[in-house]
Amino acid sequence: MAEKTAAFFAKTRWEGETAVLDLHGEINSLAEAALDAAYATAEQGNPVKIVLNFAGVDYINSTGIALIVGLLARARAAHRPIAAAGLSEHYKEIFTITRLSDFMEIQ
Amino acid sequence: MSENANPNPPRDAANWATPVDKLDVGTIPDQAMNLNVQGRRPMSPLQGFGQLWQKTYRIRLQDTAVTPQQVIAAWKANFPSFWPKGNNFYGPLQGVRPGEVAVLNLTMPGGAKLSTGVRVIYADDESFSFMTPQGHMFAGMITFSASADGRAPDASDAGGVTVIQIQALVRGSDPLYEASFRLGFGHKAEDKFWFDTLRNLAAYFDASGQEPTLTSVCVDKKVQWSEAGNIWHNAAIRSAIYLPIHFSRRLFRKS
Repeated sequence: MAEKTAAFFAKTRWEGETAVLDLHGEINSLAEAALDAAYATAEQGNPVKIVLNFAGVDYINSTGIALIVGLLARARAAHRPIAAAGLSEHYKEIFTITRLSDFMEIQ
Repeated sequence: MSENANPNPPRDAANWATPVDKLDVGTIPDQAMNLNVQGRRPMSPLQGFGQLWQKTYRIRLQDTAVTPQQVIAAWKANFPSFWPKGNNFYGPLQGVRPGEVAVLNLTMPGGAKLSTGVRVIYADDESFSFMTPQGHMFAGMITFSASADGRAPDASDAGGVTVIQIQALVRGSDPLYEASFRLGFGHKAEDKFWFDTLRNLAAYFDASGQEPTLTSVCVDKKVQWSEAGNIWHNAAIRSAIYLPIHFSRRLFRKS
């Protein structure tokens, strides 16, 4: 199922009991609705783990990072493991700056 | 899942600070109480003790032709001047730039002085973000942005009314701060601080008379007992202990 905004879309797929959210485009405040919808779709399937796949992402600003922090907080509150995949070196660095990497498995 | 393989540097690359383990304060004025910043680690919103809140403060600049880019340029260049009286932001002369560290001397409820800081982690033409260090009352990020006509800060439309926004994604850093937020006066002081800042910004752009609004969302209601030890770095306690020394030093320096 794909959730889309103008410059961002997210698609949820399953690898066994893991929900993978394939993220594409720009993660900024315009991505909020699509990101939330994709996450909600994943949660409905009660996955043992959620993976955010950033391979298709080409822009993240600070508002976008705040959205990801929000998802991470929701996952932690539900005791659901969450991981990040497909990060370029640049985005790995941003996850270090914001200390997201302390709380997410980076695949 | 393949790694992001785009060989070109991303468009956001220049807007982000580089990673650091600990904060390093540059040159700041003598009158600043430089405490609780040097050598402290930056704290993400996930590393605090208290409930996780997303607080969004907004004000509309009615009847002015100012663009979001003009607002952010002026805000970044003169950030301290928009703060409420009695609070000081000692940052680099160049203004708000990614990677810069600023020392804050804040007046707390009851008049007590608190020294803490922030690090600029992101800045572009329409927004900038701070991250707090250990000991700050909040653990997390605060993003300052401006947008056209209430659209998201990333919208390119420069027409219509400009809306200024401050969005904090934060937890109370330790049990003491969290108690102040649960009792109400912590949040009340924080809200007044940012409301006054927005009013000062609106007045600067000749858009007085507008009232700021606040939307608060509790993202995570649970406290994180594993982070209770953050109280060791509590800047309010450390500032209170250090204050007599600070004033003695200033007195002897003058004489």
